[in-house]
Amino acid sequence: MSSRIEILNDGGFRSDGRRQYELREMTFDMAEQAGADGSASVAHGLTQVRVSVFGPREAKMRSQTIHDRANINVEVGIAPFSTGDRRKRSKGDKRILEFASTIKSTFEPVIQTALYPRSQIDIFVHVLQQDGGVLQACINATTLALANAGVPLLDFVCAVTGGVHAAAPMLDLTTLEENDLPHVTVAVMPRTGRVTLVSMETRLHVDRFEEILRLAGQAGGVIHKEMRAVVRERTKGLVDAMGAGVRTSDFAEDAMVADS
Amino acid sequence: MAFKSLSKSEKAYIQASLQSNSSLRGDGRSLQEYRTISLETGVAPLANGSARLNIGKNDAEAGGGTEILAAVKLEVEDIEHGERVDQGRVTCSVSCSPAAYPLASSGGLDDLQHDYSTFLDDILSHPSITPANLGIVRGKKAWLLALDLVVLSDSGNVYDAMFMAARAAIWDTKVPRTRSVEYRAQKKQEGDMDVDEEKQSGLDTRQVKAATDFELEDYWDEGIPLVGREAWPICVTLNLLSSLHFLDATSQEEAATPLRLLLVYSVASKSTPALQGMQLLGSGEVDVAQIKKLIQDGEKHASQLLAAINLKLRDEEVRLTDKARLKFASVR
Repeated sequence: MSSRIEILNDGGFRSDGRRQYELREMTFDMAEQAGADGSASVAHGLTQVRVSVFGPREAKMRSQTIHDRANINVEVGIAPFSTGDRRKRSKGDKRILEFASTIKSTFEPVIQTALYPRSQIDIFVHVLQQDGGVLQACINATTLALANAGVPLLDFVCAVTGGVHAAAPMLDLTTLEENDLPHVTVAVMPRTGRVTLVSMETRLHVDRFEEILRLAGQAGGVIHKEMRAVVRERTKGLVDAMGAGVRTSDFAEDAMVADS
Repeated sequence: MAFKSLSKSEKAYIQASLQSNSSLRGDGRSLQEYRTISLETGVAPLANGSARLNIGKNDAEAGGGTEILAAVKLEVEDIEHGERVDQGRVTCSVSCSPAAYPLASSGGLDDLQHDYSTFLDDILSHPSITPANLGIVRGKKAWLLALDLVVLSDSGNVYDAMFMAARAAIWDTKVPRTRSVEYRAQKKQEGDMDVDEEKQSGLDTRQVKAATDFELEDYWDEGIPLVGREAWPICVTLNLLSSLHFLDATSQEEAATPLRLLLVYSVASKSTPALQGMQLLGSGEVDVAQIKKLIQDGEKHASQLLAAINLKLRDEEVRLTDKARLKFASVR
């Protein structure tokens, strides 16, 4: 595979100056956004995604309700200016629908839907900037937004992209690298070590696949640590705020102790 | 807003307090006061110009408010045979995040998006305000300026917010420097005596009239700002309640107001504002004589708002150029 851009140079550095297994800078923002029950903005390098969660609430369309569990509804919007060349995708675009159903199937085994029969959980994903790893950013943001909304989850879902250049595996690819390398997105549940999503649209040798999968699992653990820290900080802020008004500070501290 | 339901008594309460002698509003503002507006430009690295605008952000919780993301992308377009040979085009589209209108059905959201897009596109794509430096090669190629707005959340006064965000994104836009290129057949040299004559390249990149194509100039900055960005229009929404009007309604206030008058002004520097567009929204009615008065009032509000925004935009420009310079210095 030849390209004008050197994916990995002799010194072991990638085009943006990272090492093989180095992840891009991650920002997780769980600040509340108008009206949503839970929301999160996540950035992996230049890729930026915003997710809002509504519910569990009554379904807009009655026909969508399921009698014994909650229905998960995922809608994806991609900003027309998010890519290099401007492209407006309509809501019915096949690619977007597929993307939405991927996210839905990733979270179906994780959300405890059986607790909310005949209701609906809406997940609205908005991709603001794309520079590789869009699916991974969407999944991480959705996890945080769900946690922020107080929807019971079995575990975090942490996703990461891995690729192979020649025989060298690397993590968290940019658009530049995604265009040239075979890559796979893996979402893991770090506590149990289970995998809820493996998505690959390119060809990858079987021998390499196992290595990538193992590596992505480890990277998922690293991302999990970051995400958990953000969730804790957010929760602590809320608990503190709860204690600030009335004299319930003792109670708040007890809750924190029990939590940790 | 049609998607915000308000009980009868809530509506009556808001209306009565607005119409009382001291005119009270839920958040303690006076009638002609805006909520806090926060604005940041240069937020989308892949766009030629971009801005994020928030009206009424709640500082304590870092949430709430009407939030708009606007970005400009420039595309090269072939000019069809027509009268406007040396000018580019502006198109505008609005998309709403479903999170902004959680109660709207998907069809309702599409309709709303279409309404916003039509209103903005009608006004902003008008030739009278199209920036003058969008032409590339006369009669052949020009920039198509695509302005995309995303409504991330709506808590009232979305039209004003959209126009302000659009203005900020336009202000931030840099048009890449281009140079016309002409292809010319090499002249045959007569005889074999004149060796001294300079050999001419087939590719002549000087400014030429019969240019067919262009190339990007190599220059340190990202390009030239749009010409006439000062005159880019701005919208003031007057919310009309019997004889009084007020600015910057929250979504509750919008639901309690029967009629809204959108006025779009364009203020070229040091001249009187020109009215670029006008629309009445809602089911109420208003006297013709009253409209005249309202237009004058709107003009006053618009110039005040504009002064504030221009100040902020200049600030942002300084901030961004400083950032660019520091980045440049650190690379060296």
